Amino acid sequence: MGKASFVVRRSLQLVVTFWAVGTVLFGLFRLMPGDPTSYIVSSSMTPEARQAIIASYGLNEPMHIQYIKFLQNIVVLDFGQSFHSNAPVSEVIATYLPNTLVLMLTAFVLAYAAGITLGVLSGWYRGSRFERTAVIVALVARSVPTFYVGLLVLWIFGAGFGVIPMSGMTSAGTANLSFFAMITSVDFLQHLAAPALVLAYYFMGYPLLIMRSSMLEVLSEDFIDVCRAKGLKERTIMFKHAARNALLPIVTAAAIALGYAVGGSVLIETVFAWPGIGREMVRAVLRRDFPVAQGTFMVLAATIIILNFIADLAYGYLDPRVTYD
Amino acid sequence: MAKSDDLKRRDFLKATTAGGMVGMTALAGCSGGGGQDDETTEDSGGDDTGGDETTEDSGGDDGGSGETLPTYTYVNNAQSYNPPRHDAINIIADQFGDIGLDVEVDVLEWGTLFSRVSEEYDYSFATWHTFFVSEPVTELNNLFNSDNTDPGDGNYSGYENPDVDELMSSYLAEPDEDTRIEQCHEIQQTLMDDVPMMPITHMPQLAIYNNEQVDNWQSDLANGYNSYWTMINLEMQGDEDTLKGYWPETLSTMNVLGHNDESKHVYQFNVMYDKLVQLNNEGEIDHDVSLATDFERVDETTIEYTIRTDHSWHDGEDLTAEDVAFTYNYINDNEVPLYSTQTSYLEGAEVVDEETVRINMSEPLGPFNLAVANLIPIIPQHEWEDVDEPSQANIEEPVGSGPLQFDYWNEGSEFGLTKFEDHFAPVDFEQRFWRIIPEASTVWENLINGDLNYEPFGRVDRSLDENQDEDVITVESNPAATFWKFTPNEREDYLDDAQMRKALVETIPRTPIVDQVLFGFPEVGFNLVSEAFGPLHTEDVTEYEESPEAARSRLEEAGYSWNDDDMLVAPSE
Repeated sequence: MGKASFVVRRSLQLVVTFWAVGTVLFGLFRLMPGDPTSYIVSSSMTPEARQAIIASYGLNEPMHIQYIKFLQNIVVLDFGQSFHSNAPVSEVIATYLPNTLVLMLTAFVLAYAAGITLGVLSGWYRGSRFERTAVIVALVARSVPTFYVGLLVLWIFGAGFGVIPMSGMTSAGTANLSFFAMITSVDFLQHLAAPALVLAYYFMGYPLLIMRSSMLEVLSEDFIDVCRAKGLKERTIMFKHAARNALLPIVTAAAIALGYAVGGSVLIETVFAWPGIGREMVRAVLRRDFPVAQGTFMVLAATIIILNFIADLAYGYLDPRVTYD
Repeated sequence: MAKSDDLKRRDFLKATTAGGMVGMTALAGCSGGGGQDDETTEDSGGDDTGGDETTEDSGGDDGGSGETLPTYTYVNNAQSYNPPRHDAINIIADQFGDIGLDVEVDVLEWGTLFSRVSEEYDYSFATWHTFFVSEPVTELNNLFNSDNTDPGDGNYSGYENPDVDELMSSYLAEPDEDTRIEQCHEIQQTLMDDVPMMPITHMPQLAIYNNEQVDNWQSDLANGYNSYWTMINLEMQGDEDTLKGYWPETLSTMNVLGHNDESKHVYQFNVMYDKLVQLNNEGEIDHDVSLATDFERVDETTIEYTIRTDHSWHDGEDLTAEDVAFTYNYINDNEVPLYSTQTSYLEGAEVVDEETVRINMSEPLGPFNLAVANLIPIIPQHEWEDVDEPSQANIEEPVGSGPLQFDYWNEGSEFGLTKFEDHFAPVDFEQRFWRIIPEASTVWENLINGDLNYEPFGRVDRSLDENQDEDVITVESNPAATFWKFTPNEREDYLDDAQMRKALVETIPRTPIVDQVLFGFPEVGFNLVSEAFGPLHTEDVTEYEESPEAARSRLEEAGYSWNDDDMLVAPSE
């Protein structure tokens, strides 16, 4: 099978996957216990007024009608209006997603840069004290809950030394800046540092361990001996030959991790009061704000699915031995 | 009177330790109204709850003279939703076991719990937090009127008493305040004698603030220290010119006609919009700070208000009598759900002259000022007249006429208001913002270091208990119209028996709950109409001991007995 037919086949699979995800989301939210209207009506309303609100959101329609309308809207990327704010869901996502992306991508880049480098070095220096330390650091990073590390960082460096801001993306009273003006301000970078580093520390363990394992496998192959026999420098062998060949598993891991990163980190966003999509997603679920919950989960699912697709395509480019059969 | 001695400390520790630990690390955002999904059922009627207070033989050993009472279900919120209330419900359920009741605690997320109780009536006992706004009998009428017993209508306790119906109806139609006070007292006396519902604690209104930056906190009845009256009386200290508050979760909307009545919205709109009448901290109308400088009751269904003629909207347009009449007609004609209770009394409004508006009621409502005029926000006709569905409008920059005007809303981060210089009751600060901070410990660090200077939420928790003695922190407290209530469902077997309900009330350890679960901040509940309502409140109601022994004696006198397993047995027919 050629590359083109592979792309076509996977694209069709994507459509089916999106339909399945949408259907599961629709079903799950409606199977959840709890009445969504209990969050959007006041207890002081008359019963007639409550019924009017329920009807206005289409919640009184038969389930199959609601499902068909939901699918029709998904096709045109219309996720509806929030039950709570009445704002279009696309606006809600556009408000919170950029905040999450700035935080998560910063953490992601830091984590993968550090994780891959440390993974290469720990694989290369197998059996050394450096390797043991790196593995312990990685395991601790993956094992300790991020919210706990976040609270510790806030307690020590925020409340204790007063060197990091305690909450938010900007200082109080300056939140009316445009997004671009905000993210290019020193104030923002000061607020970004702590949550991004805490997240980066957590993310770092995964690429470090994968890269180390992959390096150990590559280093046992014959071409490394050939490189040495050719008299290449150790540094060149390590980074140019061994590390590049060991990178392949990282591609898939990074694609999936990046997809999840779009969903934000509700714990870090909560601890650092970061107004991201993760917190909003959880809030929407808890309040049975179906349109916002469905919309945010669809965006998250779509990102993961598409990045996986791109990773599959990238495999062929990164390793010519990979075929599309 | 036996009180905390009846509740063993071991039981308390068992029930509250988990909550305490959670409380230390709890994310405040999870308890502000969101709720959690953990739905479990736990049997709280364990055998370790029978203490020495249950060993006396109170009902003879025959048992079996009637049938054993059924298993009752006490619905409980998840611990993460409201840790102290979750603990309190478990404790009460344990205590009910001590008088021989089989009680199963069903832990539900908030939406499910609310539906189960208020719409499906699928519960035996329920406890949650409620508050009465400035007029208590409209609330009591909703809760206990015999006409409201259909699902979703409000009377979820199933209580029916024609005498109370008549009293409440008379009260609501009575224009004379002194007569209303007498009627209100009689309503309370009857209700507290029948106990269809029992307040467990009267939660306090709390002002928690940084005393180096702001002072002179005065509360009003309905909105405590977040009221209009509070804001226009605050005095900033030193060079501080900003009132800095927080909230654990973001606002949902800027639509004053389309929110869900949550306090986080009410507290914002209270200062952004004027109302015809405003109340002072004594619960009295104060025309000096109201949009209406006077009013006259023309007849029992007509009332005329004199409107200020020198006031304007935040966008500079004049605020006129036409705007006031438009507001009442617009809300009425569009059947705005948020004000459905108020509009049920409205016929319409008309402009009499440039400073007079006449409001016609659809039926007599004595406390019209408290129940309607003090609640409906006056909105600008030029902004709203083209909006067809007001409750679903997506408002981005609200225009009001109150002492604070919209500045910015960075969703999820911060909401800012600035002083409206031309207001007739100006505030003493230049701006007010609310920052969204979900994590409780961060809030307290900010309060102490001055990044925040007040805590609008007034949350009673471990953080408050631990930080209240900080030098820069002041905590002021006032009685509030808000309480935790215990509600038995009278549709369940034997719960329609007043003696049974009284026995249940006597079994509830109200004082230990206040002292140990809520750190002593609230008052022990004893009357549905709290003292916050001033003259409408009366102390002259039936009071109940906190004593399982008293409950057993009462049940025994009513013909109940206990079987060999010490389980309660119904009176034989």
